[in-house]
Amino acid sequence: MKKIRIGVYVCHCGLNIAGVVDVAAVRDYAKTLPGVVVARDNRYACSEVGQRAIAQDIKRHKLERVVVASCTPRLHESTFQRVLGENGLNPYLIEMANIRDQCSWVHYDQPEKATQKAKDLVRAAVARARLLRPLEVNTSPVNKSAMVIGAGIAGISAALYLGKAGIKTYLVEKGPSIGGHMAMLDKTFPTLDCSLCILSPLMVDVAQNENIKLLTCTEMTDVTGFAGNFKVKLRKKPRYVDEDKCVACGLCAEKCPTKVPDEFNRGLTMRKAIYIPFAQAIPSKYLIDPERCLYFTKERCKVCQRVCEAGALNFDQKEEEVEIDIGVIIITTGFDVYDPSENREYGYGRYPNVLTQLDFERMLSADGPTHGKLKRLSDGKPIKRLAFIQCVGSRNLGNAKYCSRVCCMITTKQAVMVKEKNSEVEVYVYYIDMRTAGKEFEEFYQRARSSGVVFVRGRPGEIVEHLQTHNLRIIAEDADSGCLFENEVDMVILAVGLKPAKDVQDLTKKLRLSRSADGFLLEAHPKLRPAETTMDGVYLAGCAQFPKDIPDTVAQAGNAAAVAAGLLSRDVIEIVPLNAVVNADNCIGCGLCESLCPYGAIRLEKTAQGPKAGVTETLCKGCGVCAASCPERAIAIQHYADEQIIAQIQALLGVR
Amino acid sequence: MKYALFLGCTVPARARNYELSTRRVAQALGIEFTDIMDFSCCGFPVKSVDVKTTMLLAARNLSLAEEKNLNICTICSACTSILTEVNKELKENGELKEKVNEKLAKIKREYGGDIEVKHFARILYEDIGIEQIKSSVKKSLEGIKFAPHYGCHYLKPSEIYGNFDDPEDPTSLDELIRATGAEVIDYGDKKLCCGGAILGVDEDISLTMAKKKLDRISTRGADAISLICPFCSIMYDDNQRKIESQFETSYNLPVLHYPQVLGLALGFEPKELGLQMNRVKATEIINKLQKGKTES
Amino acid sequence: MLGKSTEAHISFGELDPQFKYEISKLPGGENIKYCFACGTCSAGCPVREIDEKYNPRRIIRMALLGIKDRVLSSDLIWLCSTCYTCHERCPQGVKITEVMNVLKNMAVREGYIHPSFTRQVELIAAHGRLYEMDEFDNKKRERMGLPPVATKCPEASEIFNITGILKLVSKSKSKE
Repeated sequence: MKKIRIGVYVCHCGLNIAGVVDVAAVRDYAKTLPGVVVARDNRYACSEVGQRAIAQDIKRHKLERVVVASCTPRLHESTFQRVLGENGLNPYLIEMANIRDQCSWVHYDQPEKATQKAKDLVRAAVARARLLRPLEVNTSPVNKSAMVIGAGIAGISAALYLGKAGIKTYLVEKGPSIGGHMAMLDKTFPTLDCSLCILSPLMVDVAQNENIKLLTCTEMTDVTGFAGNFKVKLRKKPRYVDEDKCVACGLCAEKCPTKVPDEFNRGLTMRKAIYIPFAQAIPSKYLIDPERCLYFTKERCKVCQRVCEAGALNFDQKEEEVEIDIGVIIITTGFDVYDPSENREYGYGRYPNVLTQLDFERMLSADGPTHGKLKRLSDGKPIKRLAFIQCVGSRNLGNAKYCSRVCCMITTKQAVMVKEKNSEVEVYVYYIDMRTAGKEFEEFYQRARSSGVVFVRGRPGEIVEHLQTHNLRIIAEDADSGCLFENEVDMVILAVGLKPAKDVQDLTKKLRLSRSADGFLLEAHPKLRPAETTMDGVYLAGCAQFPKDIPDTVAQAGNAAAVAAGLLSRDVIEIVPLNAVVNADNCIGCGLCESLCPYGAIRLEKTAQGPKAGVTETLCKGCGVCAASCPERAIAIQHYADEQIIAQIQALLGVR
Repeated sequence: MKYALFLGCTVPARARNYELSTRRVAQALGIEFTDIMDFSCCGFPVKSVDVKTTMLLAARNLSLAEEKNLNICTICSACTSILTEVNKELKENGELKEKVNEKLAKIKREYGGDIEVKHFARILYEDIGIEQIKSSVKKSLEGIKFAPHYGCHYLKPSEIYGNFDDPEDPTSLDELIRATGAEVIDYGDKKLCCGGAILGVDEDISLTMAKKKLDRISTRGADAISLICPFCSIMYDDNQRKIESQFETSYNLPVLHYPQVLGLALGFEPKELGLQMNRVKATEIINKLQKGKTES
Repeated sequence: MLGKSTEAHISFGELDPQFKYEISKLPGGENIKYCFACGTCSAGCPVREIDEKYNPRRIIRMALLGIKDRVLSSDLIWLCSTCYTCHERCPQGVKITEVMNVLKNMAVREGYIHPSFTRQVELIAAHGRLYEMDEFDNKKRERMGLPPVATKCPEASEIFNITGILKLVSKSKSKE
């Protein structure tokens, strides 16, 4: 067999690797490995100098394979693949040995053993590199339209960026209106802008933009394909009101006899069984709640149909299946508000005067349960003393470990609003740390203090409700004075954290997205690719990724739209050929691979020799489940062939 | 239903009324107790000094019950927590169990980790059940008001008890009391600690803690406290006179071990339940009950 | 002994930065470094409510700072009533009741023990139980229809020799 010429490059990565591993020793060791014609160490292999060294050697030493011992391929494989491609080598003839993340970083306290491990990893990489084969990249045309799932402020912003850039965009929302949680806010920090005053023009823009197709009451049921070529199935639930005919006069709701807790007001007020979610809803159309409507539950009534002058009622509407073809997907599904009654925290759900921030936001709104008046819900008495408790459900090992980022500022905002409504109301904020990092946030915190809000550094142990008065007794230690502070207030507002939305679990499964330990969707890179997911062509923005405020959400939506538009601007997309290939001679047609493939990419096909497995390359992700399970070893994954991996393992174990 | 009855230190010396009533009630409800003479202190008092000694004392006690193939029934909450905690640790941590058994081998003992520990009240609540207790009642305690005192170690640390009751809002003892036909008084500081664990360290603080609860309960019109731990009983019953004189106040509030309460409902005579041994006499309750009997 | 640990002055020379690591190596002390001083423990502590000199937040804080000698020699660590209220509520999973216990165990090894505990250890080591029981007690029990209990427990006594705790305690006592 002809000896293949290999070049090895050992990276210092500054002190990341060289601070632990003896790089020169690894380099010298690499020179002794069979086939290695040149081995060098570079301060930064990824730098221009480092790349040039590889490029020159490819030509000077007629290299046929390249091994870079440095960081993870996730970070720099594409960098080095490009160097190979530009210098006449097939880009798939490189192998990386991860001697940083998997060696120097984890064995920082054992430099000698780390150096030995780095040598082992390089030896294994050289063994595999020798067996690498050139691969040809295929291309596929790009469908130029986009889908955005979730129409809160993140989805609205992303859809508008795309629509304004001339990209056909489907905005899919499971609820009856767009607007999300932002529509429920009375005001926004730190400017105290009226939330709907700034949101509602954007909502109208969505409705009017000719490139945006808005689909409400709609959920994704299935998705197949890959970046540039997704096929999506949607299910649109009936409104039982013809959207084209309804003029939103409201007569139907006025006459409807059935009252239902109003979700938009957090169940603190009632709506009718035929309703519009809120005054500024888009689309501005009514709908029937079939679970509560008398006609659907008891086949009675239909009074709405009788009074509707537009003749918009249609009780025979059925669920619709819609299929769309798109090139990119942006996930903007938002968050759930933590429900403290889950862990029986601070009497929420048991004491009528303990509310969450979002409940209180509705109380502050003119359209809320008290029409913006500071009255107690239990007895209508004016609120004279009010307390906020921070970090409820956040920064808590029993629930969410993370800081939810927005709660400190929401409390500060609500406290200022209370003081502005009535400066005589005494306001106490119980906190662990106040986090006011953001443009003009600290100034706003100062405004709260100067308006007389008392900030108490101490987390209360519990709240006890007075049985007759429904007043709430709070004992906390005021750490700054060292005193045990016994307080009695009319109402307590819990600064509840934001949690990953429960009902997107199904969606993330369908799209095969990863989640981080906190349960939120995982971005492709925490710093450099914050709006991309681990799946090509699928992007994300807003609180689906992690709790964030409105400016950050809008910025991330812009980022997601820009990356998505970047992909859509191409005519074709390259398909990395890391797919399964079947050796038909060995295939016995057992079908095990078909039953196990998570992507539906391998199926039995009829051939003259009987049923044989066949791969749809555009669907195959190269996960290897089929190859690993095939009893006849008839399936191989390109670039991860059995012989390559076995050679790597044997080299690692020192088997000859 | 068979259990090894673990008395601990305080019960046989200072709460024989608790022991007597527990045995009567258990027999009436079909719970069979085996007495193991060799049981020692559970280990609780030594935990503050040396956890390892505590662990060996507890493991030895567990091994004695295991030898007889019996689960342990405790009636002192401190014993419950130590035996449950050590049992859980030894079951979950094989390495630790090995180490402990190495030491136990020196006294020719070994613990395999095959038994369970349960407080008598929890056995009544979970194994016998509220409905069964209700149907066993011969003499309803209707009209008598009890303030339940759970004590700390019956419920906490909750992670060793598998959350059988909510430590922030417990209900099991309330339900057990109601099962006798008696009424339960809701009072603030229901969860407040009796202070018993620091009686020897700082008597003032300890008695002030007990006083706080006595103050609270006596304003709510309870006929008696009902509790399930001998040391809590020392704080509220044995030390009641002392608190009264030290703080110049007066309660005269009887303190009954729950099995005494249940025993009355099952038809036992007060003397059969050792009620004459309670420091604060439950005369009024007994009178109320007898009056009820003569009327009916 | 009491006054020193509440002094409002700490000098870096007095600190033992290893103290927090020592605590977190012992069973029950593992999570002490998670503490972010929110004060939930002190807010619900029934002892602190009566006497402010006992303050679990402050004791944990002093331990984290490394004020080892003052913490271990202080009477305060013996005041925990082991009610577990703080332990249940701590948002960071610091097992405060267990941490107090770790501190007491360490104190004993440093020669500090509260006299009430010396007495308890000696009693249990001698009799296997906290209260000495004799034949007179068993007669009393017999009259009530209760079975006798053992008056001695040599195996339990032997455990105190195996762990060497009895020696340690008497050494601490002589030091006082």
